[in-house]
Amino acid sequence: MLKTQASVLTLLLILASNIFPVVWAQEKTLVIAMNSTPKGVDPDIWVPGQIEATVNLYEGLTSYGTRVGSNGKLEVDPSKIQPHLAESWTVSPDGKKYLFKLKHGILSPFGNELTSQDITWTYEKSAQQKRTGQFMASVGRIEKVEAVSKYEVRFQLSDANRIFLGALTLHLPAIFDSVEAKKHATADDPYATKWLSLNSAGFGPYHLQSIQSGQQAVFVVNPNYHFKKPYYTKVIWREVPSPATRVALVRTGQVQYAEQIPFQQLSVLRTDPAVKVESVPGFGGATVRMNPRYPPFDKVKVRQAVAYATDYAAIGEAVFLGQGTRSRSMLNSPIAGAVNAYKYETDYNKAKQLLTEAGYPNGVDVTLEYSTNWWWEEPLVLQMQASLAKAGIRVTPKKIPSTEMLARRTINVWTVPFLTHLTSSFVPDPSYNMFLTAHCKGSSNVNANCDAAMDKLIDASAIERDEKRWLSLIEQAQNLQADSATFIETFLPGTHEVFAACMKGYLWKPHNRLVWKDLNCSS
Amino acid sequence: MSATRRSRIIRFLFFRFVVSIPVLLGIIFLTFMLIRIGGQDPVAMIAGPVADSAMLSAIRSQLQLDQPLLKQFLNYVLLVSQGDLGVSWQGGKPVLSEIKQLFPATLELVFLSVGLAALVGVPIGMRSALKPNGWFDQLTRFCSLAGFSMPTYWLGLMAIFVFFYLLRWAPAPMGRLGVDVVAPTFVTGSVLIDCLLEGNWSALNSAMSHLALPVLCFALLAAAPIIKQTRAIMLEIVGSDYVRYARANGFSQKTIEKIALRNAAGPLLTFLGSELTSLLAAAALIEYIFSLSGLGQWGLNAILLGDFAVVQGYVLTLALCSMLIFMVIDLLVLMLEPRN
Repeated sequence: MLKTQASVLTLLLILASNIFPVVWAQEKTLVIAMNSTPKGVDPDIWVPGQIEATVNLYEGLTSYGTRVGSNGKLEVDPSKIQPHLAESWTVSPDGKKYLFKLKHGILSPFGNELTSQDITWTYEKSAQQKRTGQFMASVGRIEKVEAVSKYEVRFQLSDANRIFLGALTLHLPAIFDSVEAKKHATADDPYATKWLSLNSAGFGPYHLQSIQSGQQAVFVVNPNYHFKKPYYTKVIWREVPSPATRVALVRTGQVQYAEQIPFQQLSVLRTDPAVKVESVPGFGGATVRMNPRYPPFDKVKVRQAVAYATDYAAIGEAVFLGQGTRSRSMLNSPIAGAVNAYKYETDYNKAKQLLTEAGYPNGVDVTLEYSTNWWWEEPLVLQMQASLAKAGIRVTPKKIPSTEMLARRTINVWTVPFLTHLTSSFVPDPSYNMFLTAHCKGSSNVNANCDAAMDKLIDASAIERDEKRWLSLIEQAQNLQADSATFIETFLPGTHEVFAACMKGYLWKPHNRLVWKDLNCSS
Repeated sequence: MSATRRSRIIRFLFFRFVVSIPVLLGIIFLTFMLIRIGGQDPVAMIAGPVADSAMLSAIRSQLQLDQPLLKQFLNYVLLVSQGDLGVSWQGGKPVLSEIKQLFPATLELVFLSVGLAALVGVPIGMRSALKPNGWFDQLTRFCSLAGFSMPTYWLGLMAIFVFFYLLRWAPAPMGRLGVDVVAPTFVTGSVLIDCLLEGNWSALNSAMSHLALPVLCFALLAAAPIIKQTRAIMLEIVGSDYVRYARANGFSQKTIEKIALRNAAGPLLTFLGSELTSLLAAAALIEYIFSLSGLGQWGLNAILLGDFAVVQGYVLTLALCSMLIFMVIDLLVLMLEPRN
């Protein structure tokens, strides 16, 4: 019987070794190893993998310009917004009406031309769905969108504001090929939301060909794409949930890109000649936030004590492994108007003194809650626990499920007194970022950071059209926020993308997702 | 088959079927309640990070999560009784159709692994028991202890590191087929069977090569307890009165082995059944590491994301499958029972 087993094992081993060298499927096929296949491709509906896909399927009326950065590389210039699907625009003297002229001959993969009807249909769909697209429309203070002619569309805003044009650079509200989408509409689903959740109909560089849930998604280039033709004609998105496996795949050249590579592996990968690591500081900051509605954080001196008792150098070394950039404000470069408002440095004596002044001479016990939304949360919490203890702030770390964290930190719920959070957004506009994170109505205001003076400054900055006064308002808001110390600004973890060595053309975008059309592997 | 035996089997099947109903209801109830009282709230996740409270309320109401727990449970049981396991919030696909797509991959992995482990483990365990404390027995015990001690995750990663990264023998661990291979038409969901049915030999080659390493890893882990259990069962049988009686009567070693194996079949099959069911759940890790896109990987993801309908569907599928496996095993044991 043992002979039989030996034969079976030998056969299996032969099969295991009977592997032909795996080559990239075809010339100009980009194979990417992703955490999961997209669970949907409607930009209005926030599901895992959706944004990573849809930034390549849909494009905006405007786009950010580029410039050569200090390192000699091309980078996004947030101060320069240029026409994209639009050819040009005019603004009314009060800044509340924008008339966009659309470029002629922009075609979807279905051969339909972009018209003003597509724009109005898009905004109607988002308004009906009441999800992310509507939120973005409200951020830009869009009141009404109307078709003026086949190639002209007018946006009526409730207030003149600076965020509007920046918001139009995004992939949402996605500009759909409404002619195609309407073919899939039903009486119950007039905006074809079911069909659009699993199919794409846009004017962007790529088009979804197929999704096999849990396995792979295949995207093909839009043959009618109006702008520079992408190098890759096909993108195969493979689901590889294990980060260790993704690392092995990119190191062996089986994939040209692997997402969400553990931070700890980046320094090793940088030395691997088969791999290219592209790093950008970005403007997303790892923060620890205090909710002033809960004692002892209702006292500003306690919050400031926490800021002074934080060991920033240790966090930089132990948590971000020397690869992060120190955050100096709730706004960070390249956002216009970012200043070094956050002046706190490690000073345990000052922290103890502030605690005593706040009525806690024997220190204080607090619970710091965190989840697994970002890889750095747990090490950051442990580092905070160690450093705050030196000033008598005794921290109990508490890990909670991501879904619980999301539910409890939501605006107007705000039941987490002390938590970790990433300050980030899609649009590098200062007013928009401050609104999101520090305005009482901001949807990323996770710690009840409600201050009437702050809200007033942010609101004023959003509609201020004079450059000098605008910058002054932004600076005042940042200083006010830093003084209130409801955020402990630590580091910008940065974006670190891992490619096969030959890959070129990577350009970081404010939405922080990979844009395939920029990439190439030409000699 | 005698009439008495047939009626015994029918009674057994009927009894098991009747008992399975309250067991399943209990499993549905426990899963339903545990996931809801576990502190997870999918609403915020569905709405995304820019949600306001009105949006959250609308989604909560749409998912009927604002209703009393008992009402939610009764609605769910009603749906399940009609064959509807709900809809995943991740992409809005019906849970049942996802299970049909993904479960065959898990079954393929588990059955091949357990089959291979049994094929190797049972004879090794038997041989160890027939010559206890000999060099083969010592070596076997050492190997099975090593198999017990290796975590699935670690073994999978090491296998990838050695056979894929260093030696380049194994294909890229990213799915069940190579990126350049046209997948066979979905018939059974098992890539191997579908390739055979279609006569798609290049896909079959790719599928076998992609399965080889995960199956070997999983089989290695499964073989350790099988060897140990077979050895223990066989030791007991070899020392039994009837085997001693057979020896005293001068039966050959081969005949004695046959007698012992026949008597060991019942407990061995029961053990293999429990191995199968436990590996169905444990497959999630192997699927995760080798990106096999099976039910386990899907369920694991759903647990992390608080996708209630998927978690419930996943647990229910595993429970049903376990019950079915045990029913078949018990039936086989009943049929193999020498006294029948």
